[in-house]
Amino acid sequence: MIADILTGAIRSGTSVMLASQGELVSERAGVINLGTEGSMLCGALGGFAVTVWSGNPWLGTLAGGICGLLISLIHAFLVLSCGANQLATGLTIMFFGMGVTAFFGKGFVSQQIVGFNPVPIPLLADIPYLGKILFNHDPLTYLSILLVPVLWYVIFRTRLGVILRAAGEREDVLFASGINPKLVRYLAVLTGGFLAGIGGVQLAVAYTHSWVENMVAGRGVVAVALVIFASWKPIKAMIGAYLFGAAQALQLTVQQQGMAISPYFLFMVPYVLTLVALLIVERRKQSQTPEALGKVLAGSG
Amino acid sequence: MSQTAVIVEKKETMSQQAIEKTEKPNSLWKRNSSWLIQTAIIIAPFILFGIFLTFYNVNPIELYRSMVATTFGSLYGFGEVLLKATPFVLTGLAAALPAKAGLVNVGGEGQLAIGALFATWFAVFYLDSMPAVIGIPIMLLAGALGGAAWASVVALLKVRGRLNETITSVLLNYVAVFIVGFFVHGMLKDPNSFNWPFSPEIAYSLRLPVINGTRLHIGFVIAIILAVVVWYVLAKTRLGYRIRVLGSNRLAAERAGMSINKMYFWVLLAAGALAGIAGMIEIAGIEGRLRTTVGTNFGYLGFLAAMMAWNHPLRLMATAFLLGMISVAGNKLEIFSGLPSSSVNILMALVLFFILGSGKLVKR
Repeated sequence: MIADILTGAIRSGTSVMLASQGELVSERAGVINLGTEGSMLCGALGGFAVTVWSGNPWLGTLAGGICGLLISLIHAFLVLSCGANQLATGLTIMFFGMGVTAFFGKGFVSQQIVGFNPVPIPLLADIPYLGKILFNHDPLTYLSILLVPVLWYVIFRTRLGVILRAAGEREDVLFASGINPKLVRYLAVLTGGFLAGIGGVQLAVAYTHSWVENMVAGRGVVAVALVIFASWKPIKAMIGAYLFGAAQALQLTVQQQGMAISPYFLFMVPYVLTLVALLIVERRKQSQTPEALGKVLAGSG
Repeated sequence: MSQTAVIVEKKETMSQQAIEKTEKPNSLWKRNSSWLIQTAIIIAPFILFGIFLTFYNVNPIELYRSMVATTFGSLYGFGEVLLKATPFVLTGLAAALPAKAGLVNVGGEGQLAIGALFATWFAVFYLDSMPAVIGIPIMLLAGALGGAAWASVVALLKVRGRLNETITSVLLNYVAVFIVGFFVHGMLKDPNSFNWPFSPEIAYSLRLPVINGTRLHIGFVIAIILAVVVWYVLAKTRLGYRIRVLGSNRLAAERAGMSINKMYFWVLLAAGALAGIAGMIEIAGIEGRLRTTVGTNFGYLGFLAAMMAWNHPLRLMATAFLLGMISVAGNKLEIFSGLPSSSVNILMALVLFFILGSGKLVKR
């Protein structure tokens, strides 16, 4: 049963994890994007639709990523070029995402796809116990796990990472060294949207193999919250996402076991867990908040 | 002790002057031009959405014309729009009031749901045989209490846990829907429902009175009264002034010796109560029983209405009315052209995009 939950944690946590990695890049540059929810929704629908049409989930993944990216472009434009309030804009994009996907998704509700399926890695998957948990997943999940160390390396060990972090901390420094901070932020937000879109694809094409209206159900918002929980560190964000996934897997497992707990309590657990996690880490994270972001969260951005 | 009080007083009057300076445009022309720009910003998304509709073989001019015609053509149509607009006014106030204090409350959705839950709970278990004069006010209070209780979670997380209220209130919206689901599948389930997840119907005497010839109930009067009250408090009272100072300059408020956390807390609770009343009105006015779908998206639409009104409680009534018109048009769109009624959500989001994008153009 525990192995089931852990496997499920990775399987259902991956979409949140991808989105939170993207949001992390964006927030490192000083832009918080609640539109992640909208990006995930559009990514899920875009990825699902293209998979239905082409039968090729990889094309679907690309399309989903691009859908997510386009949605985040609206956010970047309104926030960075028009000076709009980041939180309000993000919410509007979330609402926009719900409307657009409900509109275009209507015809896809009962469609079936093959999509991505778990591919056991030879040899490794045969390791008793661990093999089943770690090495029997869909290709997008493997890629997402590889993404985390890569992202960590880029953010903390490369010049690109320094530029990204400078955009969120001290943009005048960036300006003085001849780099346009606005451009850096644009690219960071777009990267975030792209990854959130792929997160949506994982949800629709690899995890559930279906499209349901508003299927993301707050995972995008959870991803944003997790980034704060993770103090803007990729590996911690990954752990947080799997924790969220575990809470969801728990609910499925408990239901399968036929325990007499109301499913509605279990539905709540992932969200409540996220809030509790935020509350616990809040005390010690103050100094790590990217400076530009701190202003937004305090209500003066 | 009294000296510091005097100083505080002085500071308050000084910053009041400062606020008045920034709020009042210095010439008539400036005021008019800002109105013109605001109108243009509201119209532009309608044109854009019209172009979008033409791709789906819908004549946008015909749609907009029939939208106006049904709204103002008959008492019934006008009533339908007011009916739709009523919850938007209340959830809009739930966003606008905290916005004046510098808070972004997006929890209207969940606060409405829990308000509806409390109101139904009281109606079903305690008020079944009460006369309307006693039952309806108690149900209203129960709704307000439920909304406020749910908002208190956000408020406590904000004040004690220093968590950003935007993120927590959105997360809690999902939790609220699950809580309603828990009750309508359990303790509040109608025993005669053949396993459908909804509550028993509330007593007929608890239904809000309806105006003849329409489906419109007196809930819209409650909404208007509350909008005027919120406007009055914000614009004319000392408390409202303090809220506005807090929203426009937190540092000044801190220096003036206001206890900021306390104000955040109570403002959020008041907002929750307003949204909770919207939930009660939905139950007592339209639905008659609690379902998990009660007020879906009303919180977000109220937030939208508040933003469109630049968080002004009286203008909010106009923007809520406009959103009501669009919602009714959405139903028509579904019936006549087969497009899903949710497509008007795209229009609403477009309207907001334009407003958000124009922040630099318009003086608030």
